[in-house]
Amino acid sequence: MSFRHLDRFAQVRSPVTRVPAAGRVFGTVVLALATATLPAGAWVQLGLLAAVSLALLAIAHVPLRVALARLAWPLGLVLLASLALLVVMPGEPLARLGPVAVTAQGADRFAMVMGRAMVALLPAVLLVSTTSFPELLQGLRELRVPVAVATALGLAYRLLYLTVDELERLQRAARSRHAGGGVTRRRHLITAIAAATLGRAFVRAERTHAAMLARGFRGTLPLLHAPVWTYRAVLNVAAVSILVLAVAASARLP
Amino acid sequence: MAHIPDGFLSMPVIAGTATASLAALATAARRSRAALGEREGPVLGAVTAFVFAAQMLNFPLGIGASAHLLGGALVAVLLGPWAGMLVLFAVLLVQALLFQDGGIAALGANTLNVAVLGVGSAGVTYRIGRAGLGETRGATVVAAGLAAWISTAIVGLAVAAELVLSGLVPLQPALLLVGGGHVLIGIAEAVLTGLLVDFVFRTRPALLARRTPAARGDRIRVVALAGAVVATVLVAVGFASSQPDVLETALARLASPVGSGLTAAPFAEYQSPVGGLWVAGAVGVLAAFLVAWGLTIAVQRRRP
Amino acid sequence: MTALVQARDVTYHYPDGTPALDTVAFTVAAGERVALLGPTGAGKSTLLQSLNGLLRPSAGAVLVGGVAVNDETVTAVRRRVGLVFQNPDDQLFLPSLLEDVAFGPLNAGASRAEAATRSHAVLEALGLAAAHDRAAHHLSGGERRLAALATVLVSQPDLLVLDEPSGDLDARSRRRLRDILAERREALLVATHDLEFVRGLCSRALVLVAGKLAWDGALDVLLADRAMMERFGLVA
Repeated sequence: MSFRHLDRFAQVRSPVTRVPAAGRVFGTVVLALATATLPAGAWVQLGLLAAVSLALLAIAHVPLRVALARLAWPLGLVLLASLALLVVMPGEPLARLGPVAVTAQGADRFAMVMGRAMVALLPAVLLVSTTSFPELLQGLRELRVPVAVATALGLAYRLLYLTVDELERLQRAARSRHAGGGVTRRRHLITAIAAATLGRAFVRAERTHAAMLARGFRGTLPLLHAPVWTYRAVLNVAAVSILVLAVAASARLP
Repeated sequence: MAHIPDGFLSMPVIAGTATASLAALATAARRSRAALGEREGPVLGAVTAFVFAAQMLNFPLGIGASAHLLGGALVAVLLGPWAGMLVLFAVLLVQALLFQDGGIAALGANTLNVAVLGVGSAGVTYRIGRAGLGETRGATVVAAGLAAWISTAIVGLAVAAELVLSGLVPLQPALLLVGGGHVLIGIAEAVLTGLLVDFVFRTRPALLARRTPAARGDRIRVVALAGAVVATVLVAVGFASSQPDVLETALARLASPVGSGLTAAPFAEYQSPVGGLWVAGAVGVLAAFLVAWGLTIAVQRRRP
Repeated sequence: MTALVQARDVTYHYPDGTPALDTVAFTVAAGERVALLGPTGAGKSTLLQSLNGLLRPSAGAVLVGGVAVNDETVTAVRRRVGLVFQNPDDQLFLPSLLEDVAFGPLNAGASRAEAATRSHAVLEALGLAAAHDRAAHHLSGGERRLAALATVLVSQPDLLVLDEPSGDLDARSRRRLRDILAERREALLVATHDLEFVRGLCSRALVLVAGKLAWDGALDVLLADRAMMERFGLVA
């Protein structure tokens, strides 16, 4: 996973991108929360929420292939994390793998976790596929993320590229001087590179701060773009949220 | 599994951790502003960018394994715990929203574990360490390494606790797999943090010198706090080991509101490993602690 | 002619006590174009930063429009003295070019619409209109330099202060930057090692050597005097 993916998002106009970024983040959080909190056994509701997410992906013109490719990596991590569930749960053994037994309870829980995880990842994929980093930042600020965090992220976006460029330059320089070397040597080298990058990050922070002060900075990044909330966008976000919450609530009815 | 994906946590745990994280972040925002002033934006931005960049570097550990920095203890040492919390929260936020690393619904829990408890415990440990060991290079490196190890272990314990409270896994395997796993990861984190802090101490000591030396009153408060934490842990461990079933039943009841069914008969058939899991766990933790301690000392001794 | 900027015996010591500037005195009039020359480490950057209050002199004073630079006046001073830093990467810190350019006006209290309009106009004038929503790391070196200039021009300063503006630019970008500066009406103060860049652009030269003002006079006269140039360390 490279940070450079941040700039490779499809910039296709669609009803989804006409909703301001804050609305997209809000919708994503609602969908993810509703999905992640479905009680065990709510397979119908899980299917309905998956349908909502897939429909939104289709409306946003995100090709299914792209969505699946973006799903694969995080889903792999979830799979690794939840494999242990199969065997640590006490219960009736279904199958034996050497010293451990896969239990019915374990399999049940594994299926539930994997199902929720997969469906909860869909809205996240929708968000990254429709929202650039600057837009996301704008949305977060409208949703009242602490000012310090918004400022840090706002500056970190540019600084990340500069920091990684510096890191790669230092690594190239180090490699050209020390070909090979043992593990200790390499560890020493990488530590030196990381520490040098850290030092330079602080120096850069000082210089950027001077440049900000020179242009009248007083502690808070000003917002340039006002969000454009159309009635239609408000209605769309509200409709999707209500639908999602209704599905989630239906899973908890007696 | 430092970053919990969505699907693992129950609604009460999601709500509780999110509330706790919000409260902690509000305090952190206030305290960080007071400490850094108008420099806050650029400094936090630069360190956030550095943590992202550093997580891409693979440090060879030998025996074919490698690790990458998590950074919680490092930012606590460089910026203090409050500003450090904001940095790690910024990192978690972007990881959840853009990289699907950690769930969006689980963001509150991940923030509580990694940013609040991880960075906070590292900050406290580092202060205790420096208050107790002194302000020399060796003391600083050892204190930073210890802070990294303890904070990683605490992150693991918090993850385990949340999984158990969610009624997902029984207490003992959660502690053994997740908690124990982090105790091991913590060793790598301790070495990496120690190496980096050592390097910074020698090349740019000004970055560390901003921490004001602990005043006498501070020292007493820090020691009292540490004592309270240790006592709480000991009491909890003692209680849990004497009556594990009681605790698990209570936790399971707490975590599963009406009718979930799955957790109604909690873990009755689970068999402890020979010798008792708590004994094994305690020995493992102690051993890992000693290894981490030795490694940090060895690392800073080897470099004149 | 009233002095736009006046340096009155500006003296500066680094926090560790090393002297950087020693009783430097000069004035720059409105619309005047001045080259600031001197070997590396002579104190050029320190002088530039003291002109808009980023550094405060240990002794002496800087006056802008007849007003001394201090905590009360520094905000107004920074609007009149626009500083373009040596490294554009330090000056372009926001996710998009338009936001970077609008940063100054927004801080000065302009409305979002006004800041956006002015920023678009400046980017248009510098030929960067098409790149307004791009991040600086997707621009070429020459474009980055112009973008850094745009972030300062948008605030309509009376004096443009540029620190090594032609450093690591290719011939074409260098030429383009020079042509743009030649058309500006603001006063210019250009700190540089690039004598060809300021020849014909600036009429006057200040030479700093080891923190002292060693020459204040016509640039042509200085460039024609090879022996003096060597003495100041401006040519090898």
